[in-house]
Amino acid sequence: MSLDTLLDTPQYGLPRAEKQKLLLAELNSLTELHVRNCPEYARLVEFTNGRTEAERVEDIPFLPVGLFKSHRLASVPPSEVFKTLTSSGTTGQQVSQIFLDRETAMRQTSALNRIVGHVIGPARLPMILIETSALIKDRKRFSARAAGVLGMMNFGRQHFYALDEDMLLDETGLRGFLERFGSQPFLLFGFTFMVWQYFYERVRTLELDLSNGILLHSGGWKKLQDLAVSNDEFKRRFANSTGLRRIYNFYGMVEQVGSIYLEGEDGYLYPPNFADVIVRDPVTLAPAPAGTPGIIQVVSVLPRSYPGHSILTEDMGVIHGEDELTCGRYGKRFSVIGRVPKTELRGCSDIHASTVASR
Amino acid sequence: MIVSQVLPVVTDVDVSDVLQRLAEPEYRSEPFNPVILAFCNDLSRALFRDLHARAFPELQALAFWMRKSELLKLKQEFDALQSDCTLLVPRGLVFHVPPSNVDTIFVYSWLLSVLSGNTNVIRLSDRAGDAANTICRVFGETLATADSSVTANTVVLRYGHDEAITSAISAACDVRVIWGGDTSVNAIRRIALPPHAKEMTFPDRYSLAVLAAGAYVRLDDSGKRDLASRFYNDTFWFDQMACSSPRLVVWTGSREECSSASASFYELLEREVRAKEYELAPGPRLNKLTFGYRAILDRPIASYDTFGSEVTVLQLEDIANFSREHCGGGLLFQAYAATIDEVAAIVGRRDQTISHFGFSGAELRAFARKLNGRGVDRCVPVGQALSFHRFWDGYDLLREFMRTVYIQA
Repeated sequence: MSLDTLLDTPQYGLPRAEKQKLLLAELNSLTELHVRNCPEYARLVEFTNGRTEAERVEDIPFLPVGLFKSHRLASVPPSEVFKTLTSSGTTGQQVSQIFLDRETAMRQTSALNRIVGHVIGPARLPMILIETSALIKDRKRFSARAAGVLGMMNFGRQHFYALDEDMLLDETGLRGFLERFGSQPFLLFGFTFMVWQYFYERVRTLELDLSNGILLHSGGWKKLQDLAVSNDEFKRRFANSTGLRRIYNFYGMVEQVGSIYLEGEDGYLYPPNFADVIVRDPVTLAPAPAGTPGIIQVVSVLPRSYPGHSILTEDMGVIHGEDELTCGRYGKRFSVIGRVPKTELRGCSDIHASTVASR
Repeated sequence: MIVSQVLPVVTDVDVSDVLQRLAEPEYRSEPFNPVILAFCNDLSRALFRDLHARAFPELQALAFWMRKSELLKLKQEFDALQSDCTLLVPRGLVFHVPPSNVDTIFVYSWLLSVLSGNTNVIRLSDRAGDAANTICRVFGETLATADSSVTANTVVLRYGHDEAITSAISAACDVRVIWGGDTSVNAIRRIALPPHAKEMTFPDRYSLAVLAAGAYVRLDDSGKRDLASRFYNDTFWFDQMACSSPRLVVWTGSREECSSASASFYELLEREVRAKEYELAPGPRLNKLTFGYRAILDRPIASYDTFGSEVTVLQLEDIANFSREHCGGGLLFQAYAATIDEVAAIVGRRDQTISHFGFSGAELRAFARKLNGRGVDRCVPVGQALSFHRFWDGYDLLREFMRTVYIQA
């Protein structure tokens, strides 16, 4: 019941007290559900004195995200697993495995609809995927990248893959798309670094008009930070050379697909109604006050088929404020700072580079 | 092959020139030559004085270890090793390969080698950190005013994983000393040595603490606090990553004694950690949390407890089944045993140091005899786990760097 309320109330429309109450009830019932159905989760909660009946959202037990890399954590029998998501690790790295049943997958889809619908409206739009069509092959096992693309494709029609297999821009195809659809709203989606490297760097000199476009992008800023490109710079450069102004970055992870944290018009990230972020002090892991950077914990009411409703990530972030309505949104206004720095512990042996692996 | 030299002076050198020079016998000295003793003492004093070096407790420990009175004690021990028909002489050129991440260990290995009269090449990793850079600087400054015989007998080179350079030095050396994990030891071991040369390896090790619960509960408050403080030094100084830092705590005695000792011990340890303002970096902290959660799922754990934000204790159901895999950073496995003999049952080759409390010399000797070489190379009181000693990893380093000449008149 509270899930419906969380989904159906206009997104970013719940003041703190109401949201926390709805979230808490839903999250507590998920803790109970996973304790009942996932023996590993039950053991972890028992051993770490996690409360199955938390009094605040902050007290919901959380799992470190790395556990999804080392263990197959599911709250449904294998026969009900309808899709397995994996994170996009580089070769040799362990990847997360997330088991979805039909219900959780549906919850994810409808949740994503509410968030994306908030910026693009109810209708499907012609869509440019800043991706190669070669990406989606195995439909049973999806990489995070493919899953992200597939999830987003639902919001578009007349999909156009802007890149060929060598990651080169299909300029003719792009011009053709813009001729047909460029004079009305259209959608663009891609991973931040690819959008910059393989799309922006090519289109900036082509004098194209992308002013009716809405760009959604995600995937982290690390590579762009290396190129000294900030979010502001990213938006400014696109606006100047293509006229594209409606650009929304979002934060999300394969462990909680559907619960994405979309950028508001003020340039900060916001949790949707049915999810939240908590920033924890890196030393004590206690909730950190606004303005203090720490480790990001994400909670979401979507995951039923695996115990991922409360996850301690390996990302650092900071909450700037809550319910300030600086761009008309209720909820926590926050930024992601980057990965928790890998620090090598000194020691006699050479095997212990901190194994907080990258996703 | 040109490589960058850090000591005696910073410059680029040709490896073969360096090796040719160091191989010449006149650069060796007699063991415990007064000039070298004097240099070591100067280096010790410089480390005590230097503002940067003072910021590294491990460099201060090193300076302490190298001071004059300690060296004279070592010389006496050396004298006792010779007899009327044996004479100890240097082996020649010693090639030291320290681990890239414990910055100071090479100095101990170098010290025993140079006191033995050898010439030395030390390979410093290009990842070497602040403490290594500090010691190299102080070393260089001390060398600048030292006798030329000292300047000529030690060369520190800095290079990455360059097999050609390592091969050239290996081919010229008489002793090779490899510190570091199993992976480094295996990698370097494949590189050939001359037929007569010997090698000492210091691979990955595991260490534990064995504490007699009965003796602990009989301690007065200050004795308990003192033990916690010494245990803190053993465990947290290198973020529990030193091979001799305890990772498993075994209490011996009745179950009641063990559990009451354990409860009091970690409370005091937590206080000590807070007083020392110890704080693990966020990356290793997340790693430790994840490791602990994985252990709950994968190992026979009876309980998971945290004491403050830095101490995590995982109680093992029984001592027999535990894995030596570890994350460091203040996570302790704990087990109860009726007697120290039960500990003997789990000891293996990897086990290096037992820090002990509440056992007599005779009990420890009986324990070591019972093991009879299966594992454990050191039994030291709690608080001494990290103190370097001429006896290390089963070697008598003072002897290993010398050959014994037999003389029958």
